[in-house]
Amino acid sequence: MTVEYVDAGEAVDQGTLNYKTPGGDVAPPVVSNVTYERILNARSEPQNWLTYYGAYNGQRYSPLDQINTDNVKRILPAWVFQAGTTGMIAGASTYSFEAAPVVVDGVMFLAGWDGWVWALDAKTGVEIWRYKHAIPYDVSLCCGNVNRGVAVAKGKVFFVTANAHVLALDATTGKRVWDKTYGDVRAGESATVAPLIVKNMVIVGSSGGEFGVRGHLDAFDLDTGEHQWRCYTVPKPGEPGSETWPADGEAWARGGANCWITGTFDPETNLLYVGTGNPAPDFDGGVREGDNLYTDSIIAVDVDAGEIRWHYQCTPHDVWDYDSIGECILFESDGRKLLGHFDKNGYFFVVDRTNGSLVQITPFVDRITWGAITRDGRVTPKVYPDKEGEPVHFYPGPAGAKEWTHAAYSPKTGLFYVPVQDVGATATRRRREFKESIPYWGAGVQVDIEDMTGSISAFDANGEEKWRWRNELPMCASVLATGGDLVFAGEPSGEFNALDARTGELLWQFQCGSGHHSNPTTYMVDGRQYIAVPVGWGAWAEGFLPGMLGAGHGSALIVFALPETS
Amino acid sequence: MTSAQERADLLSKIGLDAQNKAALGRVLGTGSIGQATERADGRMEATIRIRPDELGWDPSILVMPHGGDIELELINDDLNTHCALLPSNGDRKFIWLVNHSRGRATLNLDGPGYYWFSSPTGNDEGRGLTGAIVVLGDVPPEARLDRPDQPRP
Repeated sequence: MTVEYVDAGEAVDQGTLNYKTPGGDVAPPVVSNVTYERILNARSEPQNWLTYYGAYNGQRYSPLDQINTDNVKRILPAWVFQAGTTGMIAGASTYSFEAAPVVVDGVMFLAGWDGWVWALDAKTGVEIWRYKHAIPYDVSLCCGNVNRGVAVAKGKVFFVTANAHVLALDATTGKRVWDKTYGDVRAGESATVAPLIVKNMVIVGSSGGEFGVRGHLDAFDLDTGEHQWRCYTVPKPGEPGSETWPADGEAWARGGANCWITGTFDPETNLLYVGTGNPAPDFDGGVREGDNLYTDSIIAVDVDAGEIRWHYQCTPHDVWDYDSIGECILFESDGRKLLGHFDKNGYFFVVDRTNGSLVQITPFVDRITWGAITRDGRVTPKVYPDKEGEPVHFYPGPAGAKEWTHAAYSPKTGLFYVPVQDVGATATRRRREFKESIPYWGAGVQVDIEDMTGSISAFDANGEEKWRWRNELPMCASVLATGGDLVFAGEPSGEFNALDARTGELLWQFQCGSGHHSNPTTYMVDGRQYIAVPVGWGAWAEGFLPGMLGAGHGSALIVFALPETS
Repeated sequence: MTSAQERADLLSKIGLDAQNKAALGRVLGTGSIGQATERADGRMEATIRIRPDELGWDPSILVMPHGGDIELELINDDLNTHCALLPSNGDRKFIWLVNHSRGRATLNLDGPGYYWFSSPTGNDEGRGLTGAIVVLGDVPPEARLDRPDQPRP
């Protein structure tokens, strides 16, 4: 006798199995009126953190001052959000929590690794909705299963996925509105960048510079997802800059220069300022003679046309993996419109952001042996992998004197605060054929696990170091500066620190239980200031701090505030 | 080195493809392979079973011809309760599969690439109830790099 099957029904969204109060899975429509104009004036609403850097200028500065040098020693965790990891995910041992939490009128929008996006109550940490994009297990990831955050505007939340999609979600429900593919995973492309909203566009860059791809920026219409423009960061033969690549062969087609970190924007120049990544192969310059534009450059892109207007190359013909993807901080000094950039090569560049002319260059790390850059910008390589099979040791290592994690600038103090990694590496050139989707480094590389140090260092716009807070380990997380004259900076060993922005004195510290490699932000709800820091060690730790490869991986967002008064 | 047939024979001979023979469970990736069928409208469909006492998905590797929507029929013929957690854009899909039950799941997946699915209860995942969905194809032409065709491995 045949026994009928029990009807198990239809599979449900896993998120429905996470109790919510009735109606608690819909966020208030706080993003519906987030417009380009509001983002332009983001710092006029300091209770919010509307865009990746907090404002278009990339300063990572908030004028909030409820938490300040006098009372910071009293701040405590207000809530913790823990996502955890389940199942088999791409790069399972490399995920890291890198996002910059975005907050709009009491709602936090947060991206995680492996396709996660969450809307949280910014006051309580309670999950409102979640979105989970399915990420292929076999996607190429050079540096871990990571994502640096979301953008918000016009009722939508935008983010990219590791398999190079850009999506728009309904900010109230988390449901997908549109989904576009902007990279080729079969070519080794991926995506990790936090999108930037400019005018009616969402702008994203590609990852994959370790796989011999051709870097690009893409712009999409906010409302429809229609593609607006693509800007390649390596020119084709015959285009301006192509003379910096070998005339024969296809080195340009594999040239790298990926824009995997969010740009900054000046509405007066109408220029988007973006740092570009390393050339490929990273360490074998013999197959790509020339300066290799626009790798390792600050590029200024006309945001309407999607065309490069000027560039400043920080490391011509790079053979040390010195991406220039670091943030381009916009500031004014003596009436000049300037741009500050801390490069992986160990130098702090200030350029005129109207035309890219050099203003000053200063080393910001003690040990620089790869070469030297003079005050007028002349670059002299000294130590580099050149002969096949011959190990070469150099400082800084390939993660740079500062990795992608961001410096901050306080207009109140006039100082830049930079997380410094002082660690070297050995590279041995090993030439290999190019094959699409296979890592294309051209060397064996081992980063030092001893004799390393780090700091948070404060510089003025002239490149003069004003103070230095020293740490035994390199500092590998973004810095946050506030109007309370505080600088927040996390350590690889888990401590989250508040420093006096004027002196560098350590005023407060909390052990978060896992290393920091993310972007802390600050916001205010109902008159109470919060400091939010994603905590979760991982990513390319073998590159920036292999001495901590054995540390535990966390995955928590910890939010601090002063005790509530009764 | 083994040929495909030699591999299957060796898996069976050593006992890598069954419960409590060589290892404690069934080594992942040693099960059957199936292909989804495509309807005229481009949607795909397939059936995945759990057979008695095998603690494995059949097929354990399901191949989709391209990215998009797939409707799965999930059948538990086993004498124990399992479940399924499946990848899908938007959120992962979860279903309980009590003994002798049949359910459904509709997934949306990008291509190309592959994804894992499993029965996240007890250690079903380690015993063998971890399977893969492989999506064939290429990304849309407009997403590809403007460069000459490049050599591949």
